[in-house]
Amino acid sequence: MLDQAFEALKKYDYGTPISELQAIEDAVVASHTDAAVRQDLEKRLIAALDSGISRDAKDYVCRKVAMIGSPAAVPVLSKLAASEENSHLARHALERIPGPEAAAALATAATQLTGKLKIGAIASIGARRETAGVASLAPFLKDADPAVVRSAALSLGTIGGAEAAAVLQPAIQSATGDKTALIDSLLQCAESLLNSKKTAEAKAIYESLSGDQQPRLIRLAATRGLLACGAKAVES
Amino acid sequence: MNRTSGKPTCKANVASVADGHRGATRRQFLKAAGAAAIGAPLIITSSALGNADRPAASDRIVMAGIGIGNQGRGDQGAFLGRNDVQYVAMCDVRDANRKQCKANIDNHYQNKDCKTYGDFRELLARDDIDAVHIATPDHWHAILVIEACRSGKDVYCQKPETLTLREGPLMVAAARRYGRVVSGGSQRVMEDYRGMLEPAWAGEFGTIKSINVNVGPLPQLCNLPAEDMNEDIDWDMWLGPASWGPYNSKRCSGSYSINGASWRSFSDYSGGGMTDWGAHHFGGATFVCDVRELQPTEVVYNDNAQGKWLDYIYPNGLTIHHNKPNSGNLQIVGTPGEKLAPKPIPEYKGWGGIYGDFIHCVKTRETPFRDIERGVNTCVLAHLGNIAYQLRRSLKWDAAAQQFVDDEEANRMVDRGRREPWQL
Repeated sequence: MLDQAFEALKKYDYGTPISELQAIEDAVVASHTDAAVRQDLEKRLIAALDSGISRDAKDYVCRKVAMIGSPAAVPVLSKLAASEENSHLARHALERIPGPEAAAALATAATQLTGKLKIGAIASIGARRETAGVASLAPFLKDADPAVVRSAALSLGTIGGAEAAAVLQPAIQSATGDKTALIDSLLQCAESLLNSKKTAEAKAIYESLSGDQQPRLIRLAATRGLLACGAKAVES
Repeated sequence: MNRTSGKPTCKANVASVADGHRGATRRQFLKAAGAAAIGAPLIITSSALGNADRPAASDRIVMAGIGIGNQGRGDQGAFLGRNDVQYVAMCDVRDANRKQCKANIDNHYQNKDCKTYGDFRELLARDDIDAVHIATPDHWHAILVIEACRSGKDVYCQKPETLTLREGPLMVAAARRYGRVVSGGSQRVMEDYRGMLEPAWAGEFGTIKSINVNVGPLPQLCNLPAEDMNEDIDWDMWLGPASWGPYNSKRCSGSYSINGASWRSFSDYSGGGMTDWGAHHFGGATFVCDVRELQPTEVVYNDNAQGKWLDYIYPNGLTIHHNKPNSGNLQIVGTPGEKLAPKPIPEYKGWGGIYGDFIHCVKTRETPFRDIERGVNTCVLAHLGNIAYQLRRSLKWDAAAQQFVDDEEANRMVDRGRREPWQL
């Protein structure tokens, strides 16, 4: 059955009954308890991604690799992340594969790609939520493209913590355009610090955003944050 | 975005507000405008000042809608019919929807003032809009709610509020960060289950041990073939953060089908019947059992000769069954012989059902009946269920950490990658 499904994958395209691939779905789920079976299945999925199957078929396989893929899948996913057609679902898989290989692949993609694909790679670094991603993202805060800056800022906000806050704060000071994403991300950093009981660090961020020069909405958010810091202090 | 060109022309928008406490700011503006009239002529129409039937412009909530298809039209009608709302703009990726919607609104107000947009970012950039209602397909909800909060808008978002587990906490955090009123949109939670709700809150079942929810089906992967595009639709924008697929009228149909004839059926855009009707039924069950503030800690996957079903285990001992064989929808197992002290049932605030509840809370800054966090908690049940069924195994859920316990594979399904350039 599995062999038939992989054979069907070669002709799979939009409009093909998805039931033809059911055996692959079943194998992915069943491999949960057998590492050897999973490794073998992953090899077949990687080989499929490296073949001439359709865009739709590659998207399907990327979804399965996202569920069970290991660093072994990173090279082929990296190639696909650079293609207009498959970049999204290749990144979907890279976001989920544990280990430094996938993180490094996304960092490289963010540096080498352009336009929307670059922004996608930057977003995926954030989606991994690893503090190590901060160093990859920081240079993009100085990019000439406001969309790149925004994406990097949002990714840093997603990662949160003191490291992300440390690169966002000077970027806010020097930014001349729309600061919404930068400030929102810094507020997210403050929230993550507060949740980690680093109240003093969170409070310092909120205080930095409380001045009269800030838009009213930001002052409101900062005030709410300061109140939360007070409540946290009482709690502890 | 040129904010100046985005200024509305309708009479309700005589004041421009930047953020924060909008109602107060508009009132302050009118006060200032009154003072200015001493020195210079100022025409304020009777419409702006209000009359016996209509609040003054300063007391109306300035609203706009995003995603005005089947459900959006219903929501829009409810808001448009209120005399304390001034509806000034709408956004949709379909040109036909924009034209029809503008005609309806302009006809309602007998003017030509409604602005239409194909890109929500232009609408959200307007600083004169207090609140937006969102009725797009589900794959857009999180981005829109969060972006609306970032731009200082209050939000009424149709159910199901989320498409993934991770989206929920981010939406709640954005609402809390900026002090926004964000209401989910299931009117059925309050209205459809009174027969169980009233005796449950009256204590007549004693301690409720379990309740069953029958809902489905699961979502399916969309693999529909390309069709000729016979409508004026911004296809890339319709797809948004979802994976690319060719245009097909069923893929993007806003019909209420959950069996392959609308986006509600497909996993890229919806959690299928599990979320589409689950947002109502799970919402009703958690309301009946008074666990709207909680999330389960475990999902038990059952698969035997009787069929497949789930047991959601709550930290307070309650079990919510999903599709338990031979069980009716919202069938309760209580504690025979026990009667609990009755509790007052929470009701909508203001007037006009769940829409009025939202508008009331926008004015008063109270918490709406289906506060976003309650909507998220409801959707969590549907998402956990979809993942358990897909993986065909039981799962433990750490609600505080928002992740599965000792299950890396399940944790890979907490969220999904978003198509470039979209991100939360």
